[in-house]
Amino acid sequence: MSETYDYLFKFLVIGSAGTGKSCILHQFIESKFKQDSNHTIGVEFGSKVVNVGGKSVKLQIWDTAGQERFRSVTRSYYRGAAGALLVYDITSRESYNALTNWLTDARTLASPNIVIILVGNKKDLESEREVTFLEASRFAQENELMFLETSALTGENVEETFLRCARSILTKIESGELDPERMGSGIQFGDASLRRLNRQQSTSRKPDCAC
Amino acid sequence: MGQREIEERRQKLRDQLQAVSRKVSDLVLENHPAYAVELQRVMELQQTLQNANVICSNSRRKLNAATHQFTTSLGLLANYRKRQQLVALLKSLRTIKTLQRTDIRLREMLEEEDYPGAIQLCLECQKAASTFKHYHCIRRLSSKLQDTLVMIEESLDVALSKTCAKFDEHHYFKLQKAYKLLGKTQTAIDQLHMHFTSAIHSTAFNIVLGFVELSSSGGETSSQKRQYSDLCRNISGDLFTPCLIDLCKALWEVMKSYHCTMQWHEHQSVESETTEGEPISSSAMVETSLNRKYLQQKLQHGLTRIWGDVQQKVKIFVLSTDLSYFKYEEFIQVLDIVNRLIQVGEEFCDSQSEGLQDSLRKQSINYFRSYHRARMDELHMFLENEAWELCPVKASFSVLMLQEFKFLRQKSKKTELNNSQDKLSDVGYFDRYADGGSPFDIQTEEEETEDVMATNGVGTSASQETTSQDSDSDEDVPDELKQEFIDEKTGEDAPNKRPSSYRRRIDSKAAGKMAPIITNTTLNVCRLFGRYLQMMTVLKPIAFDVTICMSQLFDYYLFSIFTFFGSEAEAVSRSLSNKLRTTLKRIHDNLILDEDDDVHFSQPGGAGSDSGVVATMTDDSKRDKVPHPHLSSIVDLMDERTMYGLAQRIVATESLVFLAEQFEFLQPHLEANIPASKNPFLQQFYSQTVSTAQELRLPVYVSIASRSIDYDNLTQQMHQVKWDIHDIMSQHSAYVDKLVVEFEAFHQRLSQLSKKVPVPKAVNHVIWEHCIRLANHAFVNGYANAKKCTNEGRALMQLDFQQFLIKLEKLTDLRPIPYREFVDSYVKAYYFPEAQLETWIRDHKEYSGRQLSSLVTCIPQLNKKSRQRIIGMIEESEKNRR
Repeated sequence: MSETYDYLFKFLVIGSAGTGKSCILHQFIESKFKQDSNHTIGVEFGSKVVNVGGKSVKLQIWDTAGQERFRSVTRSYYRGAAGALLVYDITSRESYNALTNWLTDARTLASPNIVIILVGNKKDLESEREVTFLEASRFAQENELMFLETSALTGENVEETFLRCARSILTKIESGELDPERMGSGIQFGDASLRRLNRQQSTSRKPDCAC
Repeated sequence: MGQREIEERRQKLRDQLQAVSRKVSDLVLENHPAYAVELQRVMELQQTLQNANVICSNSRRKLNAATHQFTTSLGLLANYRKRQQLVALLKSLRTIKTLQRTDIRLREMLEEEDYPGAIQLCLECQKAASTFKHYHCIRRLSSKLQDTLVMIEESLDVALSKTCAKFDEHHYFKLQKAYKLLGKTQTAIDQLHMHFTSAIHSTAFNIVLGFVELSSSGGETSSQKRQYSDLCRNISGDLFTPCLIDLCKALWEVMKSYHCTMQWHEHQSVESETTEGEPISSSAMVETSLNRKYLQQKLQHGLTRIWGDVQQKVKIFVLSTDLSYFKYEEFIQVLDIVNRLIQVGEEFCDSQSEGLQDSLRKQSINYFRSYHRARMDELHMFLENEAWELCPVKASFSVLMLQEFKFLRQKSKKTELNNSQDKLSDVGYFDRYADGGSPFDIQTEEEETEDVMATNGVGTSASQETTSQDSDSDEDVPDELKQEFIDEKTGEDAPNKRPSSYRRRIDSKAAGKMAPIITNTTLNVCRLFGRYLQMMTVLKPIAFDVTICMSQLFDYYLFSIFTFFGSEAEAVSRSLSNKLRTTLKRIHDNLILDEDDDVHFSQPGGAGSDSGVVATMTDDSKRDKVPHPHLSSIVDLMDERTMYGLAQRIVATESLVFLAEQFEFLQPHLEANIPASKNPFLQQFYSQTVSTAQELRLPVYVSIASRSIDYDNLTQQMHQVKWDIHDIMSQHSAYVDKLVVEFEAFHQRLSQLSKKVPVPKAVNHVIWEHCIRLANHAFVNGYANAKKCTNEGRALMQLDFQQFLIKLEKLTDLRPIPYREFVDSYVKAYYFPEAQLETWIRDHKEYSGRQLSSLVTCIPQLNKKSRQRIIGMIEESEKNRR
């Protein structure tokens, strides 16, 4: 089971309950819509290797429960996340209003350099829309977030969301803005890059991850 | 010459004439009678001739008349005969014409698939033709008929081969009849078998070829010529399952046809037996029965051969793709399909299907190994990311509520349902799908629904499945859940939310019903248990390997908890029971990848007695080992303010206990699935490992107890107390109050904590027990520090301790207070006379030599000599103890 990849990014999916976080993850990994989805208990997990800008990146995605009662469990997963999907439901103003709280949580609990992408899910339910695209993109701009509207049902923009987030992290790594070797960055070198490094120079430059 | 000469000559001639005339006349006279007679005769002859002539002409005339009369009737006759012949000729010509026409008719009949009719007709024609052998044209016709017959046979053969694909009773009946007409029933059956064999080959080939071409987008034509096994290797993973289903379906059709063929023959023989009352010549009877026997034997024999072929094809197909990267549901589906095929095979010819079983086993082990490997890695990741926060679930939570255990829940319900269904399945696949369809159709349907079930995460309860998508409020949570979860709402920054919840939780605690303490990782392991268990039921042949892997999940969890929370205790060695120690060593040796080197693993089977069994799975490898777990950096076990991470310790340890309980609950299910011979392993695992989960509490909590209260300080404070007093004190010493204050603070923090994390009674007791034990040790040490002591001082000791106990009883519900005797007895030993003291010392090894000697030293009633003697005795036994 030795997958090779250059980087491993720890991702987080957060947002109010019922916004479709698990469905987005499921759609991303299985490429199909999860029909009768239950509320997530605690935290669930999924991973996928994607190709971003010629690098293979393993995304380790923690899908958190949106319900308030799991907040203490889910918060413990914020630490050391490299990227986060902040999900709201375009048909629910309430879930949109809660974004500020989620954002504060993420900014305080996760690493300060965390790359957050705002995701307006359930794009397919256009007729029930309560939050306009413009409004949400303004919010995203104000808070320096990337923004996309997705549909976990149709799969529209789902992969794009993860890719864009990963790409942004990769760019930051390449520009030196993010240091993968810093503890709690949520980024690890994968086997592939390790091997490449070793071949290039047998220096002591090894990431301190044991995996 | 002159006259004279002429004359002379004339004279001479005259003389000569005269002589001749005379002579002639004499002769005439002489012969005249003869002449007359002769003449007479001639006359007579003439007469007769004339008569004859008359007769002749008469008769001729008469003959002519007769001829004339006669020939007219003969001509009539001749004409008639001629006509007759012509009529006959016409007839045969007509027949021949029809014969020639029948050829067309025959073709028509063949097209109509009326083979017996065609053969009948053809045979009749042949027969007819043979009667017209003398006609030149017939010879060609009959050879043509022969050709036709051959052609019929050929198309009969083709038709026969069609029955392989789809058996049609009516159709087959015709075919059999046709072969019977040809007298070739036996050949037909041989031919049939050949057709079945080739049908299996070509069906399998074509289906796989179809899929290969589908995936290679039809670009290659070369695949047509490739080997079947080669083709199989070219099936891409995503097409594997549909191809397998199609393959099974197609082969099922072939087998079904064979099955129907057999049934038809059986039915036929039964029928003919019942009608055998009709008079048939005995020899014919013998022959038909012989024939039938031959057929039956052939057919019976063919069963195994055909199943063998089918098996071989599917086996090659199944084995030629690496399924290890398949998703769980997909793999289960594959297994399900093959298992179904095995069942079909069993019904088909009572075969154990070793080939398929073997391929299943191979694929299962292969799949399961990598599956397990990935799961262990995942578990490793979960453990290292786990913050050991409580994951709120209902009080009644058990693994059975997880989606992954749905199959178990349904099992019990189903068994009743199944009884009726079982009856149905007694009927067998062949009867159930006699009218069409295949066992593999239904299968996909089932799979679909199961697929949904398996992927939709967790259903904490069935009622929860009514999800609402659009609101964060708890309003959307079904009431049942709400009630249960409210209790867990404490410790959150929501002051408006039920301030009384703590009270209520205490109540519920008192009622003995507490929500289980579990973590996210626990949930994950539980889910894996469910999946593994499900795998066991499906992967019967490797059920035991799965069991071992399940035990590894538990092992790793246990080992991690110990590594995270139990291994830092300075008193680890003391607080570990032998059993726990052995278990931990076994896990470490078998499962954990040493970080620095693996020399350690070169000695196999060094650890537990059961390592030999485990070795079947861990044999070849470091591959099956997992890295040493590291505690997530979020958890701080050194912070005094969090009571050294007590909340996390509790959640972690109790989640392990919960997991152990759940695992125990699963024991009967596991036992039911593994071969009985392997039960000892399981039992050993339960008794050696699962049962040690609770014991882990000791090393985990002992460090809390030892660090939370300053026992050394207590001893020091006691040092300052004067014990050689001469008044009976009515007031206890100050150090007790200080200790009690510490304990109260501890209690306070503990109850503070229990608002955040439920502290189970057992945990509470373990912690208190540790504290009290350590405090009591400190008491004895403090008392042992008293160089001089009076009776009154002793009384003060008792008073102090009593005071401590009274206060303590208010803080803990642990009864009786443990190790109380330890202090009491030590204090009171002061009063013993010499002899009793000696026995007491001998009986109480739990005190240290220092404690005992200082006791002896401060007893005033002993004289110097006996004091030294007893001290000597203490030192002696102290030496022995080491």
